[in-house]
This record gives sequence, C-alpha cells and structure tokens, in this order.
Amino acid sequence: MINFQYLRTTAVKTALNLIVKDPKAVFIAGGTNLIDLMKRGVATPEKLIDINHLPLKDIELVNNVLQVGALTSNTALAEHITVKQQFPLLMLALQSGASAQLRNVATVGGNMMQRTRCGYFYDITMPCNKREPGSGCGAINGYNRMHAIFGTSESCIAVHPSDMCVALVALGAQVVILGHKGERKINFSDFHRLPGTTPETDNNLRKGELITKIQIPINGFNQNYHYLKVRDRSSYAFALVSVAAALIIKNGLISDARLAMGGVAHKPWRLTSSEDFLKGKAGTTANFEAAAQLAMKDAKSFGENDFKLKLAPNAIVEALTIAKSKS
Amino acid sequence: MEKLLLTDETSMNQVFTEKDGYNHVSFLDAIDENDRVDGVAKVTGKAKYFAEYQLPGLTYGVLVTSTITKGKIVDIDTKAAKNAPGVLDVLSHMNKPAVAGYEQEGGSPMKIFYTDQIFYNGQPIALVVANTFERATYAASLVKVSYHKEAFNTDFKSSIKDEKVKKLQGQPPYKRGMEDAYKTAEVKVEQVYTMPVETHNPMELHGIIADWRTNDQVTVYAKTQGVKATQNTIANVFKIPVENIQVNSEFVGGGFGMALRTWPLEIATIMASKQLKKPVKLVITRDQMFTMVGNRPAAYQKIGLGATKEGKITGITHIAFGQSATYENFTEGVVNMTKFMYDSENVNTNYYVIPLDMGVPIWMRGPGEATGAFALESAIDEMAHALNMDPLDFRIKNDPEKDLAQNRPFSSKYIKEAYRLGAEQIGWKNRKMIPGSLIDGSWQVGYGVSIGVFNASRGRASVKGILKADGTLVLQSATSDIGPGTGTGMTLIASRLLNIPVDKIVFELGDSSLPPAPSQGGSATLSTVGSAVNDVCVSLKSTIAELAANSNMDAHAHFTEVLKKNNLPMIEVTKQSQANAEAKNYSMYSFSIHFVQVKVHQLTGVVKVSKVVSVGDSGKIVSPKTARSQMVGGAVGGIGMALMEEALLDNRYGRYINNNFADYHVPVHADVPEIDVIFIDKADPIINPMGAKGMGEIALIGFAGAVANAVFNATGKRIRSLPITPDKILQA
Amino acid sequence: MDEIDSHAQGDTRRDFLKKTSLFTALSLTPVTILKAADQKVDERFAELFEKIPLNFTVNNKAYQLNVEPRVTLLDLLREELHLTGTKKGCDHGQCGACTVHVDGKRVNSCLSLAVMNEGRNITTIEGLAKGDELHPMQRAFIKHDGFQCGYCTPGQIMSAVACIREGHANSKEEIREYMSGNICRCGAYPHIVEAIQEVKEKGGTI
Repeated sequence: MINFQYLRTTAVKTALNLIVKDPKAVFIAGGTNLIDLMKRGVATPEKLIDINHLPLKDIELVNNVLQVGALTSNTALAEHITVKQQFPLLMLALQSGASAQLRNVATVGGNMMQRTRCGYFYDITMPCNKREPGSGCGAINGYNRMHAIFGTSESCIAVHPSDMCVALVALGAQVVILGHKGERKINFSDFHRLPGTTPETDNNLRKGELITKIQIPINGFNQNYHYLKVRDRSSYAFALVSVAAALIIKNGLISDARLAMGGVAHKPWRLTSSEDFLKGKAGTTANFEAAAQLAMKDAKSFGENDFKLKLAPNAIVEALTIAKSKS
Repeated sequence: MEKLLLTDETSMNQVFTEKDGYNHVSFLDAIDENDRVDGVAKVTGKAKYFAEYQLPGLTYGVLVTSTITKGKIVDIDTKAAKNAPGVLDVLSHMNKPAVAGYEQEGGSPMKIFYTDQIFYNGQPIALVVANTFERATYAASLVKVSYHKEAFNTDFKSSIKDEKVKKLQGQPPYKRGMEDAYKTAEVKVEQVYTMPVETHNPMELHGIIADWRTNDQVTVYAKTQGVKATQNTIANVFKIPVENIQVNSEFVGGGFGMALRTWPLEIATIMASKQLKKPVKLVITRDQMFTMVGNRPAAYQKIGLGATKEGKITGITHIAFGQSATYENFTEGVVNMTKFMYDSENVNTNYYVIPLDMGVPIWMRGPGEATGAFALESAIDEMAHALNMDPLDFRIKNDPEKDLAQNRPFSSKYIKEAYRLGAEQIGWKNRKMIPGSLIDGSWQVGYGVSIGVFNASRGRASVKGILKADGTLVLQSATSDIGPGTGTGMTLIASRLLNIPVDKIVFELGDSSLPPAPSQGGSATLSTVGSAVNDVCVSLKSTIAELAANSNMDAHAHFTEVLKKNNLPMIEVTKQSQANAEAKNYSMYSFSIHFVQVKVHQLTGVVKVSKVVSVGDSGKIVSPKTARSQMVGGAVGGIGMALMEEALLDNRYGRYINNNFADYHVPVHADVPEIDVIFIDKADPIINPMGAKGMGEIALIGFAGAVANAVFNATGKRIRSLPITPDKILQA
Repeated sequence: MDEIDSHAQGDTRRDFLKKTSLFTALSLTPVTILKAADQKVDERFAELFEKIPLNFTVNNKAYQLNVEPRVTLLDLLREELHLTGTKKGCDHGQCGACTVHVDGKRVNSCLSLAVMNEGRNITTIEGLAKGDELHPMQRAFIKHDGFQCGYCTPGQIMSAVACIREGHANSKEEIREYMSGNICRCGAYPHIVEAIQEVKEKGGTI
C-alpha cells in the first residue's frame, strides 16, 4: 500500500471541502472494506479523509421516521431499541452479516458503499470491468456460483454483498445525501444501480457527496417478518441467496407485503410484483409459491449459479412461511 | 503415593527455561494434571510463535509472485522497488547469492531463484527486503516482471480422460485374488467419487526468520513440524555443517502437514539474510498459503464393490487419480485402506497421479487415507442400501479377523465394540432404513457411519532426561508440537512412571540442538517419542534404585533423598527408542468410527451436522484431555471437508479465485454441534510400552463419508462429489 | 473543533519537500531535492515527515508515537510495541485472530489503521490478566482445553470476554453465532463454547 496522506476532521463541511479538492481522496469510516481493498491493491487512494469523528452517529425517531446517522455502527443499529421493536427485520439482517467484530466497526454508510466480493474483482491480475473498465469479465464464463441472476449485463454479473441493504430496501428506507449543492434525498432502492455498461459505478452517490442519514418510516412490519440467509456455512459467510420478507396480516389476509433479495443482483433486489401479488391474498404455501415464481420472471443464470433459479424461489417461500408463522 | 520433598519452591514455577529469547512463563496458576503444560503461555499471549522473536536490526521480506502459469521470466525490473523508501534489496534469480546445493542444474525440489522457469501461477520469483513490513509490501508492488508465456494445464477433471495428458503410477498396482471380481457379483455398486483441492490453512501464516551470521552460522525461527528436518534441509541446500544451523520452533500455530517440509520461500529468506548480513523475517499472506505451502490434491476415484445377496463382500476395485506438480512429484496412500479394511478375497487397486501446472501438494491431515475413505466408505454405504441391510450390520459382517493384505494379525482391533458403543451413543436405533423418511419441521434427518484407519507406528527418537535433586525432571527432545499436546503427553508418561507431579516436569522441544526426533507427522509422535520417554524414565528409576542400594537406603527412598545422599545435583540419561522388533509380525493400525446425524433443509439444501459421536480405537489413552481435543478437532476438520472446503482454480488463468478465509470456507463456531468422543482405551500389546497408538489422522479419516452417508439417509440423495453444498443437494 | 485536526496531517514526502526551507539551506535546486527524495538520499528526513503522531493507550499504558498512516493497529502492536499476543491470521478481517478491545469493543485490529485509534484505549490479550492472576476466561480455556496450537486463542479469548459483556452468551447457540468471527482450524470450538458458558454461568464482572 502506498503511504497515503491521512486527514481527520470533525466537521462535515470540512470533510466535503477536502474531498472535492482532491480527486484521489476518499472518505474512510469503519474501513473494514476499504482497508481490505487497499491491502489487495484494488483501491489505491492517495488521501484518506477519516470521517469517524463527524457528528453523524445519532439515531432518533422524528415524526414516526427513524433517522439513522450514517456513521452508526452496524452493532449500534442492530441493538437500538426502536430497531428491535419496529424494524426487527433490519435487526436480523444486520446480525446475519459479517462477524461481531466487523459489525462493531462497520458503519451504515460504509455498508452501503461496500464493494462486491467477486473473486475476479479482488485479484488485480484478473480481468474485471468493475475494477478496470474494458478489461473484460472473468466471472461470466468462469466461477460464477456466487453471482447475479437478475439485472446482469454483458460487462458484469457481480452481486452487492450487503444484508443490511436488503432489509432497508424492503422497508422502504430513504438515503439522505449531502453535497456542495446541499442535501438531496433518494429512495434506498434507487441508491445502488445495475451494472449496465458502467459496472465500475456501484451506486448513484456522486463524487464529493457524503451519505449523512438513512430514514426508515415506521410501517408496521414488525410482527410477521423474517430474514433468511442461505450460505455455505452457518455464519460469517456471504449469502448464496438471502430474503427479507415482511407481511401485515389482517383477518387472515395479507394486507401488505415486503420482499427483497440479496445475493442475486448488483443491488439489493426488491420484489415489488411479488409484493403486489400477495396483497389481499391468504398466506398459503400456494400463494407464496406463486409469488416466488413471479419474482423469478426475468432471472438468468450463468452455469455455476444455475442452482439459484431453484434456490431463490425456495428461499422466498421459506422466508414467507416463517414470517407468516411468527407471533 | 510418595510425597515429594520440595527444596526450592520458586524454581518450580518455571515451565520454560530461559535461553536465547525463549519464553519465561510464570506458573502461579497451578494446573490440573491433565491440562496442557503450555496452557498458560497460550492463553496469555506469551507463547512465542516464529514471527514473534525480536532480533536487533530485523528486516522484512515480501515475496513477488508470478502472475502467469507457465513459461519463462524475461525480465524483472526492480529499479522502482529498489528506490522506494526503506528498501534494502530485491532478490531474484538475477542476483541471488551463491547457494552451493543449488549449483547443479535441474532436479527436484524447485530451486528458488535458481531458475527463470515458471512452473505455476503464484510461484515466488523475487523477495523484496525493507526495513519495515509496510515498505517491503509497497516496494513489492513496484516490481515489474515480463514473461514469455507458454500453454499450460491445470484442469484435473478433464485431464483424467484426456489421453494426451501424462499419468504417473502413484503406487504399484495391487491385486489379491481375482481382478474386478465385483463385476460378476450378485449385487454390485460401481461409482465415481470426486474431491476438490483442499488447503491446510493453519491459523498461523507460514514463514521464517533467518539470521545468517558470520562464519556461516545460521539461526532460524521456523514454523516446522520437524526442527531436525529443517536443519538437514538447510544443511543440504547451503552445504554447511548441521552444527552451524540452529532451528527454533517452540510454538507452531498449526500445521496439518503443510509444515512437514522446508519450502522454497524459507530458503529464499535464508538467502536474503546471507546476502544482506541481517536477520530477515518473511510472513507470507493468506492468499499465498494457497499456492506456496502445498495442499490436499484433488481426487477422482472409481470404486467397484461386489457382494452376495446375503451381504458378504466378494470383490473390491479401487482406481484412484490424484494430482501432482510438473516440477516435483507427490503421492499418498489413497488406496491403502481398501486393501485390508474389509473381508474380501478379491481386491485390486491402482493409483495414478497427474502432473499439473500447479503448486506441489503435501500431506494434509489423514493424508490419502481421508481421500480414499470418502470413496470407499460411501460405496460401502451404497452397497448396504442396495442389499437393504443396515449399514452397521453390513460392516460388522465384513469386518476382517486379520489383515488379508499382509496375511498377519492386527496388533489390536476393537472395531465391533466401537460400532456398538457409537451406535448406542448417537441413537442409531432412530435411523430409518428408508431414506428421506425422518422429518423434523423443514428439515430431513439422517444418520451415517463410516470408519477411519491409519497406520500406527513407532519410529526412532532420542530423549534426554535430567532428574534433579530439587525434585524436578527435565526431558528434552527435538520433536515438535503443532497442537496435539506433545509436551503434555510426554509429561504425563513421565509423571506416571516416576511418580512426579506434572508441574515438576519440563518437556523441552522445538529446538534442533536437543536430542534428535523425527518430524511430527503420521500420528507417530506419541508412540515414537513417548517410547523414548518411557525408556528414559525406566532407566532413571533403575539408576536411582542402584544408587539407593549402594548407599544402603530403603528401596522406596525418594529420588531427591537418594541424590542428596549421593551428593548428586542431578543424574541424566539419553535413550533412543527403536522400532519394535515384534512389530513385523503384526499389522498395526489405529481405527476410528464416526457416527453423525445431519439435518438437511428441504427447501434450501442447507446441511447441518447436528450430532457427532467419534469413537477412537487407538490403544491406551495417555492424555485424555488432549486426546479428546484431537478427536473433536478431527471432526471439525471433517465437517469442513464434507460440507464446505474447496479451493477453486480458474483453469483459464491458473489462479485460485477463492484464496482467502471469506471464500474458502472452513467451519466456524456455528457449524459445530456438541461432539461426543468415546475411547476404547485398551492397550495395544505390541506397539510400544504405553500401549498407545496415534490418533491425529483417524480423527479426520472417514468423517466426510459418514456425513455423505447421513445426507443420503436423510434425503435419498447420494452426493459423490465433495463438498456437499446446498447447490448440489438442490440439483441432485 | 471545526477544522482539520492539525495533529492528523500527513504530507507526502514530495509535498513536504516542496514547501520546506530546511533543504534549501543545503543549497540544492528544488529538482535535485525532489530527485534526492525519490532516491531516498534523505531517507532520515523524509521518514520523519511521512509519519504522523498517535497518542493512545494500550493495556493502561499511554503511548506517544509517530506512525505511517498505512500501518495497521495489528502491525503496530506486533512489530512496534512487541505485543505479539495479538495474532495475524489473515490480515483481511476474515478470521478474528487479531481481535482486540478498542474502548471496550471487540474489533479486528488488522482492518484498523493505527492512526484511526487516536485517543482510544486498547486492550490486548497481554492486558487481560491481572499480574500473575489469570482472567477467568483464560482459566476456563485451560480447564476446558479450548485450544490446541494456541494461535487463534488470544483472539478467541478477547472475543469471548466481549461476547459475555455484550450479553450474547445466553445459550450455546447464541455463543456459537456470536463467536463465529473467530476461526479455529484445530477445531476446539466445542471446548471454547463450554469455557464461555462456564464463565457466563459463574456470573460476576468479567
């Protein structure tokens, strides 16, 4: 790793000034992904701006919307009383990610900004359009067991590795972003993007902008919910497929549903057509299976990950079944 | 029980002698007799592993590795690296120091920095040395290498059937009775079982500190399973006298076989130290652990099994293919157990290796046998199913009374008892004969059993014993402890023979200046070194008795009194254990029976090992606590082998794509249920005075087969390709 | 504080040389200076300015250091402070061998830049025992034989202590989940879980 310059500030404004001035500068928060990438030569920033001391760690409930500072650690968020009570789906997702040590350090903003775990992305000698645009994709005709089945392009089939983001997209969160032109707000589902022809760009955060907050509206999805993570070992592993499922059941019928998947796309993959299908229906296995089939409509696999075409709908059915059986 | 007279309390509190930077650990926390003698050192962080010795002027090496798979190095541009801050030198084949043992052309093993040939991707080709680790790491990234590329082959699977790919005979073909007798049997099973490359990946990263001093004296702090072997290798490579080489390796952070040889990267570091006249430390990275220090080779095995309708095995055929490297060969005992494990008149085996453009493999825990056992024990289960027999009944029916391959009796074997005890403990009676018929919520439940076996032996080792008038005993041997608890076992043997409490006994190891002992491998340390400890203690006891008689003392007088009466501060004796003469009349093996219960999720294909009972038939248990840990550890390794371990190499590039602990999965806490361990604990009358046989290998061998058999029992799906991941269950 | 932390500014050597007057006193032209810098002629000077100050506490001992920003907390502990109880197992946050407590929380020291720990309190395995008296978790690990080779052990123990302090040691299942960030290749897991459960059940402050 080069001996980069290191700067620390306690003011958001200063942080933004610093990043705008220098194209080779990046923010560092928890650092659990960035330092890893730097050690492997995948990220080569010449200047790190340590934002851990910015005042962005508060969690507060304002008008039935939970405002989560972007520097909140994954642990702090998972253990927060409002999250436990109102967003247990998010709590489960957070707890299934990484390890206790990493969650203590990793932040909400950093979790959103983490990069794919694709093996070709991580090895700087291999082709990867995300790391080195134009170099090709090693995964499409290579080992793609962990890779995407939705929203892929000819240049990239990588997946976003987060669990937290899957729950947040299901819960309809919003992202508050601060830049020089002021604050803007985007839907969580619009934050990450699909690879298209520019897989090097993971999300819609612009250069010089900073995620300051996540907002999650209280929505009643705290009774019938489940986060199912299917992986190669019982813990401390990335998802083959994960499902965030939440239902509101009234008089035996599903009045509202939320469904999203992880490990299947370049972004957390919300399943709105399946959600719509379930509304007004009974929580039967047949309906869950139909919702799962609907979710698979545009799925496309690449050989090693063919099994996801079966695993994904099965996981949806299992997550919905467990969600329904709660309380 | 005799009471010990303690003369000097304070000196008793030292477990390790103070010497040349060695640890000095207080033992104020008295330990239980069966606790590890180095427990305090390990839980306090005071145990020093090779990379933790602080030498004045220490420098740091970082390797540059090839990014092509086969070809020649055209040029190595080190200008930028050499100009980077703190860099002392960049060593490669272009500027290496003279190494006498490498001067001859060609041959094996690979002569690092003495060739411009690239044999595999990730091969070390240059070593950057700088005054800090960070600077060396950065400078290594500045080294620019140009290559002349050649076509290569790393594809094991397609090579098996490709006639153009060379196959070497890994072991002479074996035949007893009729060849391929299974083909004409009343009931037959004929299947292919495959396994991927696995990596040892002990938690401690490999490397070495080399300190080459004037007059060709060199001290190394190594991670090795054999300090004498390391010493000899260095002597051979650098052509300097063995006495000039000091190898220290007191604590080793796991090995599982990968530290059974001195790797090229270690030689490179010694070269650098020689060149720079400074101590150089090299600690390789986790991804380099996949390419530079061996692996368990992939395997393709065909098993043919024939039986009568009544369930008597009539023929076994086992044809195995393993993998090797182009620049060095490697073979292991893949087909060994097939020759004697079951009572069959007709057995034939063959084993080939395919040299590929990959790093050379090395024995990994339960070497060869673990690979073979997965195939054979799966096939045995398949046959039991075909016969509609309980696999336990089928196994017991075909349990041989003697070793038919060698035509001689087993020195001891209590397999039937082991089957019975294990079956009772796991609740075998709950197993359903019809696969897929036991359901627990969303999960299917199944039971499986398998056997493990490994050669039990006793080699040659020397131990020196120093019995002191202060009531302490020091034992010394240049053996190693990579984790099983060598010092603890030896201390217990001596404690019982001489009736000295364990905290008054020090067992020194991991130092090449001590009396010679073989490397720690093949489950032989306790038998080999323990026999010498036994002989030392017996000798000390008789010397004390003699001294007592000569000075008219009571025959039961305590040794401290005898020594004092004779004005002796200490007596010492060195004994060498020998291979046992009687042993040639017997087949000596350790056995294990693994029982597992698995749960398989019906929708996601996730497999969880939910119960384990491992029964060890390995003679008398010397050190119950560490022995149990060995068996538990083997089961955990077995869970990894069965369910998750697989090093994936992209044959287009010749590079591993999951060369890290996030993507190469080994079991974590959440994967491991409670594990019951049962020991038969009956002395083997032949092997050694303790009656103890080794267990490091049998703890793992067979385990993966038990899991695969349990998965079949749970689901009716027979997975013949390890690891058994959710995708395979879903697609079966 | 609204400004950039003045103690936390590292300049690259070139930046420093461009603005320093020290070297002009040596009557060299700027080009020559820069060239000299690239060729590490004035390594000793350069080294000083590639480092930035770090003040923190390790095992109740205050340190005032100058470190390169790229040095991880793990490497600083092991190579500079010679606190080698904290182990390097993967260097990428994938094994837990490097677990230490930072302000009471367990973290992977391999993924933390040392300079990011300004003002923090670090506890390593060497700081867990009180003098010659082992911490109850250390004692329990010995009793239950919660290790073999011992290399992952300091990380396991630091993690185990935190696991109880966090309130995540209420069942074997919970312990297993919350200890899964610490890999043990020797496979001592069941014994580690027993040790943690025993310490937890004994109660008291740990």
